[in-house]
Amino acid sequence: MNKTFLKFGVVIFVSLFFIVACGNENDEGGEETGEYAVNGEVTLDFAIWDSNQEPGLRQIADAFEEENDGIRINITVNGWADYWTMLEAGATGESLPDVFWMHSNEIHRYASNDMLMVLNDQVDASDQIDMANYPEGLVEIYTLDDHYYTIPKDYDTIGLWYNKTMFDEAGVDYPDESWTWDDLYDAAVALTKDDGEQYGILTPLHSQEGYYNFVYQNGGTIITDDKVSGYDDPNTIEALEFYINFVREGLSPQIFGDAERATVLENGLAAMGFFGSWNLAGFSENEYMAEHFDVAVLPASNDGGRASIFNGLGNAIAYNTDHPEEAWRWVEYLGSEEGQRMQAELGIAISAYEGTADAWVDSNDLFDIEVFIDMVEYGQIRPYSNTTGVWEDRAYEELNGAFTGDKTVEEAANDAARVMNESLERED
Amino acid sequence: MLHSSKAARKPNKKNLNEWMWGWFFIAPTMIGLLILNIIPIFQTLYLSLFQSGDFGRGDIFVGFDNYIRMFNDPQVWHAVRNTLVYTLLVIPISIAISLVIAVLLNEKIRGRTIYRTIFFLPMVAAPAAVTMVWRWMYNNQFGFFNYLLRSVGLESVDWINSPNVALISIAIIGIWSIIGYNVVLMLAGLQEIPKDYYEASMIDGASSIYQLFKITIPLLSPTLFFITVTTIIQSMQVFDFIYMMVDVTSPAYNSTVSLVYLFYNNSFRYSNRGYGSAIVMLLLVIIMIITVFQMKAQKKWVNYK
Repeated sequence: MNKTFLKFGVVIFVSLFFIVACGNENDEGGEETGEYAVNGEVTLDFAIWDSNQEPGLRQIADAFEEENDGIRINITVNGWADYWTMLEAGATGESLPDVFWMHSNEIHRYASNDMLMVLNDQVDASDQIDMANYPEGLVEIYTLDDHYYTIPKDYDTIGLWYNKTMFDEAGVDYPDESWTWDDLYDAAVALTKDDGEQYGILTPLHSQEGYYNFVYQNGGTIITDDKVSGYDDPNTIEALEFYINFVREGLSPQIFGDAERATVLENGLAAMGFFGSWNLAGFSENEYMAEHFDVAVLPASNDGGRASIFNGLGNAIAYNTDHPEEAWRWVEYLGSEEGQRMQAELGIAISAYEGTADAWVDSNDLFDIEVFIDMVEYGQIRPYSNTTGVWEDRAYEELNGAFTGDKTVEEAANDAARVMNESLERED
Repeated sequence: MLHSSKAARKPNKKNLNEWMWGWFFIAPTMIGLLILNIIPIFQTLYLSLFQSGDFGRGDIFVGFDNYIRMFNDPQVWHAVRNTLVYTLLVIPISIAISLVIAVLLNEKIRGRTIYRTIFFLPMVAAPAAVTMVWRWMYNNQFGFFNYLLRSVGLESVDWINSPNVALISIAIIGIWSIIGYNVVLMLAGLQEIPKDYYEASMIDGASSIYQLFKITIPLLSPTLFFITVTTIIQSMQVFDFIYMMVDVTSPAYNSTVSLVYLFYNNSFRYSNRGYGSAIVMLLLVIIMIITVFQMKAQKKWVNYK
């Protein structure tokens, strides 16, 4: 009997061993292809979320690889939402990419949990990086307790994109810096056709490329300095009423999905829309957009209040990268005047390095993109706290009822303030 | 297991040998089940008692706080309702349609292999890719369905963002994608039914409708039972169609969000794994209750020969 049980045990053991062995094999396989591709060469994983920027960044990576023998850059692109899921899983499982983009929404969570390498020593030792060369507001976003967690990559503002052909047809003057909310409204009315084939404007449920701009133009706020929701601020509500009214009056289609917004302009459904400077590459490639569209500064509120949501990205290094030196060389290159100028000339994004923004303006002759630089003067840093992603979603859930008419704007704004404050209370 | 009535007597060598081989053959399934299902269930239960720290560090034990918060969260109850409504829409309709198709495909008609392939195709296609196509067809401005509606002079319908319609739109995809699977199982069940019954009933003058209800369905009931149990469980776990169709920003979010979608958003989007685990434990309990009821009810309608 013992013998039989022994046999039985052996069988179990062998099958277990087999499973474990299979697992090991996979692990080894992964490492071989991931880390050391060719004898001794280092491959850095570089993660980004914008596929429009990938071709340009690839060119910069090629230039970097030429200068730095033995380092290869492997760029991986995930869409915005998947990117953060991937990064979160990577941080939890200690398998972060070596170098990756960081955003103001998430910087606090990653930095305060020591997921990012502190770059002060490297910056001090570098002859190419000096934090004074980047916009102060941008450096501030990514600095916690005097520790630098990223090297600034680019910045962005939001502009008013308009369909010249539709303006000509309706006999409306193109928007310029003299425009106020009243002008915007009058133009939207004039450009809307009764048959539903053409809307005057697009005011989607979107924060950064939407109502945030109007809130700050009107002297309102989304989050106060002591981390309380500003949605119930009378100025905020007034701005939301103006913004959502376009939808309620049928001057704008009801759009809720992030990806659908651009298709509304690209298919000639709306004559005006608000989009950030990072859309440049995508819009330039779209034949319809390139032929019919141009961009202007955002209109001022009727009291003359101006604002455009300002934000920017930084390149960060994982705290536990196997190749800290090589990773720093790559981040340094991306942040150096040379790399930043190249990024601007390729039209990838508005480079953060002082004096390189003009190169970005010259990179594109389809649209009057200088307006994005002009708006930096009154740029308003995108509101954020430790858990921006959570309360932004919760606020969206409450606000969409105002767009469909299920709630008044005031009710929706108060609901948004309530859920946002509940969410902020759970923070930390 | 060693104390079954047979094993009370001293097991002889033959018995032991049989047990050994028995265990050996089910070992891969057992080990897989243990590692991939059973251990994670207990880990989830454990996790649901904690408030998650960032990146899996610094979890704080909070007892039943996540459950208390869950029972007071209207969104969870929306999700329970949506999940049940979705299941109630998908299961009866998909089984009725598949039954008709399976009975028809069981007849000797020309090109039935082609039909069988066509009906099974949705099952092979990736749900995410399939939903993208549906999403395009449902699109409010440029979609195929609204184009059809407009061309016959009807009002267009906001298939994706209207709170009253979106869940039905999603259920249509669910039904469409599950029919092939049901049909294949039912065809196998239909092959088992002896032809004699049909011949005998024909001689007695039974119509084909009468045959369907008095012969086909009763004799197919074990297959139908299996399909009902598995597809209910599958529908209760609906995620991909909704995830691909309805964004958090959509006004239809609260009337479409399913328990698994809510679990996903809380666990991965808002990185609150503890709360997400509590939600998924609720789903587990609901599925268990439904399945127990089905097991009890089967005695009333399932015929095993």
